[in-house]
Amino acid sequence: MNTEVLLAGGYGVLLLAGAMVLEWLSRHTHNRSQAWRTSGFDYDAQHDFWVCHKGEQLWPAEFDREKRLVRYRAKAAVCNACPAKGDCTDSNHGREITRAVDSWPHSEAGRFHRAIAVMLVLLAACELGVVLIRNHDPVEIAVLLPLLWVSVVALWWLARDLVRTPDGFPEAMPAHGNRIGRNKQT
Amino acid sequence: MEEKSVRRGFLLSKGWLQAVVIVMLLGFTVLGILAYKTYEDGAPVPVKVFDPQGQLLFDGDDVSAGQQVFLHNGLMEYGSVFGHGAYLGPDYTADYLRRSSNIAIAGNGGPPVDQDGMEIDGSDSRPDPAGDVARQKTIDQFRDNQYDEDSGELTLSQTQADAFRKLIPYYTRYFSVDDTEHGLRPEAITDPQDLRNLTAFFAWTAWAAAADRPGKNYSYTNNWPSEPRVDNKPTANALVWSAISLIALLGGIGLLFGAFGRYRDLGWHGREQTVVSFRDPSTVSLTPGQKSTAWFFFVMAVLFLIQCFVGAAVQHYRAELTSFFGFDLAVILPYNLLRTWHVQLSIFWVATSFVAAGIFLAPMIARREPKGQGKLGYFLLIALAVVVFGTLIGSYLGIHGVLEDAATNWFGLQGFEYLDLARLWQVLLVVGLVLWAYMLFRVMRSRLRSEHPGNMPWLFFLAACAIPAFYAVGLLAQTYEQFSVTEFWRFWVVHLWVEDFLEIFTTVMVAYMFVLLGVVRERVALMVILLDIGLYSVGGVVGTMHHLYFSGTPSEHMALGAFFSAIEVVPLTFLTVEAWSFLQLGANQESKSETEFPHRWAVMFLVAVGFWNFLGAGVFGFLVNLPIVSYYEIGTALTANHAHAAMMGVYGMLAIGLSLFCLRYMIPSKKWPDKWAKVSFWGTNIGLAWMCFATLLPLGIMQLYKSVNDGYFEARQFDFLTDKTANMLEWLRLPGDLVFIIFGAIPVLYICFLGVKYTIARRGEGDGEGEADAELFTVISGTSMEDEPPDMPARPEPTPGT
Ligand code: HEM
Ligand SMILES: [Fe+2]
Repeated sequence: MNTEVLLAGGYGVLLLAGAMVLEWLSRHTHNRSQAWRTSGFDYDAQHDFWVCHKGEQLWPAEFDREKRLVRYRAKAAVCNACPAKGDCTDSNHGREITRAVDSWPHSEAGRFHRAIAVMLVLLAACELGVVLIRNHDPVEIAVLLPLLWVSVVALWWLARDLVRTPDGFPEAMPAHGNRIGRNKQT
Repeated sequence: MEEKSVRRGFLLSKGWLQAVVIVMLLGFTVLGILAYKTYEDGAPVPVKVFDPQGQLLFDGDDVSAGQQVFLHNGLMEYGSVFGHGAYLGPDYTADYLRRSSNIAIAGNGGPPVDQDGMEIDGSDSRPDPAGDVARQKTIDQFRDNQYDEDSGELTLSQTQADAFRKLIPYYTRYFSVDDTEHGLRPEAITDPQDLRNLTAFFAWTAWAAAADRPGKNYSYTNNWPSEPRVDNKPTANALVWSAISLIALLGGIGLLFGAFGRYRDLGWHGREQTVVSFRDPSTVSLTPGQKSTAWFFFVMAVLFLIQCFVGAAVQHYRAELTSFFGFDLAVILPYNLLRTWHVQLSIFWVATSFVAAGIFLAPMIARREPKGQGKLGYFLLIALAVVVFGTLIGSYLGIHGVLEDAATNWFGLQGFEYLDLARLWQVLLVVGLVLWAYMLFRVMRSRLRSEHPGNMPWLFFLAACAIPAFYAVGLLAQTYEQFSVTEFWRFWVVHLWVEDFLEIFTTVMVAYMFVLLGVVRERVALMVILLDIGLYSVGGVVGTMHHLYFSGTPSEHMALGAFFSAIEVVPLTFLTVEAWSFLQLGANQESKSETEFPHRWAVMFLVAVGFWNFLGAGVFGFLVNLPIVSYYEIGTALTANHAHAAMMGVYGMLAIGLSLFCLRYMIPSKKWPDKWAKVSFWGTNIGLAWMCFATLLPLGIMQLYKSVNDGYFEARQFDFLTDKTANMLEWLRLPGDLVFIIFGAIPVLYICFLGVKYTIARRGEGDGEGEADAELFTVISGTSMEDEPPDMPARPEPTPGT
């Protein structure tokens, strides 16, 4: 077995690992930025509500199908009387918080990271393929072929997922009259 | 904007500002001390160098003249010295050291060498006691430092003197060959005096690389390059500081994430966004200054595309040295000419975009634009074009030997990698950037008067001023000065630009864009900016020294450089994971809006900037950052890997993102080529990632392996590149390069062309000088954001989008 095969095998593994790390980091950033937006609020997963830092609860008010997010709202009367309102919201209908399934641009950033991961795996497959054509004793085949197989499976799996995930870019919503205005639409 | 008689106070607590000022002051104090140490303790250039019989071999002026021959002929864009320069040719420090030590070993009774100073094959296989004695003698001769500090005179051993005399003919043959076999122009250097001086310069660097520093057991270059023939191996310092800087990095990341885990919100807990509806960009009327930027962006795109083509040709030299698809390219465009064009264009097109974006944003911030800004804009553009094309033509004339000596220095090329341009153009570029800062100032003058100097308008202006200020430092590098000194000042520009002040200007600009869009509050943006300035500067300022581990500078440079530059990675990790999400958040449209967010692809380019900041600068940068790694890999493909991923990934993507942001206002919405913006986003990113992962990274790993196992000299040999695995890797990048150019650079050019086209079509429209459009990017309904009345006065009803 020559060094090219060893290098290619090692590098192929590195690329696959890189794709995995990227997938993980991407998910992690996504969660972090989600947490950023809701920081100061604690989520109770069991009962599906949020508690703000003043102890008020926000309950689900609406599921927005189009944007794939849940809106939670606190009681308007409580918020309007709250001393921290200025730092919290300017809506007079109670503080709202959303939990998005995946909102833009996170959705599209996620696709970007996924696409890079797809590229890494594709590259691993190409590189292993080229090296396999150049070197193919039985031992070399035994090293390269399984790796090639793993890359192709990973490629198929990631690419399929990429194609299926929508970019989530919000379409403009045609104004229907009352939406323009000083207050949030409820 | 209403002139306020009272100045608006600082939006945050004073501690923020104090921290940032202290960090900057401390950083530059340390850098000042290191500047002094560089002059004091840099590898000395002897006044005279003698052989043991007292015959003069060369003197200090010869070394200086040889250095100028090296620089003015563009050899730093072909090979390197002290590891700095281009990567096709050899590193001449390592090259001279190898050849001269071989000659010395032979002279001391060891195995014979050929006339090039290379061992004759198969001469050392069996144990060889005579050879061992010769090798030990050679080590002693090379390490023994006979430099007399008082007289400035140096006496070399007999074998070193012989080697010098023998290597003059070698380098003469090498550089004067009437052929393009090296990728240089035929008969690149023929003047015997020049060739002798050039050899003296190489000899001096090799002497500094092996002779022990007075009182130390390592050489002036901290024992770089690795070379067993003179017993050069990594110093204890290199190992210790590698370990310490690794700990600093991990500790820093842990601390910062720990702190943020505890104080999750640093005071900005998730405040609910007001309802935002974005104005249709084509209803925003533009000032003459803003319109002039369409041309800047067009020039940017043209330069970008030229850089790509030049880069493709540069790459071709690596894959196939002697024929460009059957054509002897090096006669007209030798490798070093293309390399200097490639590197300089990258700086020029990115700078063009930054300059334009500054001109575009200033009136939005100030809400006014004085008369004449448009004319100044066109004037600046022409000046910039003169500098760019002057530089390109000058490099051509310089490298082809049309200009000589002082003329080359002033009109041809100075030849410092990244600061290659001739002094005339360098001075003019500084003047142009100062003019640019003045243009921003005249727009923002009254706004600045009404603001505390710690607030965003000032930070925007000051960050812009830092760009010419630090570019001007490059003027301190003079081609005749001692090389450690010129390298020191050169890296003030190269490093402090990209790793500190451009990062800062970027953050300020991007944060401001989001504030103007009304999706981020000014207070939050200000916090992020100050946090960013502080974090980048803690590591980034002293971190400059990570380029000077082995340049003849004292070991303090290595210790401090390694430690502080490791800390640089902390903000890159942190800001990617944390604060960039605030930008992503910025565009978030969970609040309902009936107008579409207009900057989809500009924001996606910013997402890409965050990604490459993390991968290209953070990960790939750290990969080459430990002294012990740098010792073996400096000047190899692993550096090229980092340089491409960081420079194109961060600043290239940013330049394109900024252009899309601004052009969105110049091209009517109905004509906006969203599809092409999308194509260019994917094309540039996939192309760049492919380039790094298909070729540069694996090749770099192979080269590092070779360097550790066989030696640095071997790793930099041309044979390495033509090795069959390496050659396969060089070809494997082709698909990525094609994607990058066809789907990345060309669509960008098309979009910028549309910008010019529609700006011409809308000429005259809304050219009223004075007041800028009172309604800018966004209409915010609901209460205005309480802490920023000057930016966001409450708006009337929004204009519905088209
Ligand atoms: C966006 C930010 C950055 C850009 C644009 C950038 C760009 C570059 C470029 C163009 C070079 C090549 C210089 C040469 O060939 O002489 C380089 C070298 C280097 N960079 Fe960076 N860099 C960035 C950030 C970083 C960071 C964060 C680190 C480390 C923590 C780093 C560490 C290094 C080191 C050690 C070298 C020297 C390698 C050598 O000379 O062989 N860089 N960088
Ligand atoms: Fe640096």
